[in-house]
Amino acid sequence: MSRPPLLHRLLVACYPRRWRERYADELVQVLGDRGSGWRDLPNLAGGVLDAWLNRRLWPATNQASLAMAVPGPAAVSSAPTIAATVPAASAYGVVATAPPAGEMSRRRFLRRMLAVGTGLVLLEFGVGTLSFLWPQIREGLGAKFRVGTIDSVLAAEPRFANGFPFAYGPARVFLVNVPAAKELAMGNQVSMPNPAAADLLALWRKCPHLGCLVPAPCESVTRYQCRCHQSTYNILGEKMFKGPAERGLDRFAVTIELDGMIVIDTAQYTQGAPNRGPEHLAFTDPYPWDATCGTE
Amino acid sequence: MADEGSSAELGRYAEPAVLVLASLSDGPRHGYAIMADVEAFSGLRMGPGTLYAVLARLEQAGLVVPLPAEERRRPYRLTAAGSAALAERLEEMARFVRVGRARLRQPDRGRA
Repeated sequence: MSRPPLLHRLLVACYPRRWRERYADELVQVLGDRGSGWRDLPNLAGGVLDAWLNRRLWPATNQASLAMAVPGPAAVSSAPTIAATVPAASAYGVVATAPPAGEMSRRRFLRRMLAVGTGLVLLEFGVGTLSFLWPQIREGLGAKFRVGTIDSVLAAEPRFANGFPFAYGPARVFLVNVPAAKELAMGNQVSMPNPAAADLLALWRKCPHLGCLVPAPCESVTRYQCRCHQSTYNILGEKMFKGPAERGLDRFAVTIELDGMIVIDTAQYTQGAPNRGPEHLAFTDPYPWDATCGTE
Repeated sequence: MADEGSSAELGRYAEPAVLVLASLSDGPRHGYAIMADVEAFSGLRMGPGTLYAVLARLEQAGLVVPLPAEERRRPYRLTAAGSAALAERLEEMARFVRVGRARLRQPDRGRA
């Protein structure tokens, strides 16, 4: 004889009004007798949907008196809702044009549509706002890139052993074999085909000035020189004497896995060192300024 | 005739409708009693939403009639049309059972 749980009663209240007037009392009673469990909820919701979709099942209004006449305390959960909706139409003095019970008045329809519209707008704003919380990874920045083994790098760029940077497109980086690169910049011909992870440098090819793609180093002076505004970087990506950029090229973390796979993690990066004058560079090549570098 | 009309209307509720009709065939029962009885004789658990979707359809089709409620528990009684519909549906099922059994007995079918 217990009352069914709140959620069940709320669902019963979702049935169409004319349907409720006829069946709600007994349905609530059934739910109470059954000591209804949670697994009845989907079934009940299905019933609600079915009742709304099959208008012809709604009892005619004269039958409703059958349920209304049932004596009993106001324990029926849906009773207040009925009481609230029945006098609504006549309260405005439109008794003559009041729609038949169960039909929706124009005013009520408009009001409901307004509520639905407002709800949709709020939902849209809510979802739009929440979607900002999702990370937006563009152009692969933030991802981990599996470049390949040293051998595959050498196959793609044989001069990598001599110190020439390997341009890795997907992550937009130059992979630099540091000891060999220093020798190359000094004009020495060496071959170091087995760099350790600590010897590798992944330079982001995005110029820290305004974001242009930094081209491959020019052969003559082995420097990177941005085509946009001639910001010039040495072979290790340090900002040299010319150009508007205020720091060196940014670097990503590089690791070599046990199987030899070189991995560039673009979520971990270090900003290039700020300009502090030529005496602070870790490496200086012996060439003078070359205006033609990067323009050929 | 009444059966054809109503079973077309019942749609996907045709099966639970037979169970409800069968439950009411030995006397009036109220909602919860129908559910308990159906579960006892068929082992099928019928949800309250399904039960009332079925009862509303059966009442509309004139196959059951509501009786005065006793303390908010309203019993339903099978009408003559309801008994006829149930009998016809059971006859269909019996035919189905006969055909199915006969086919199962044919040695070269169903085994392979």
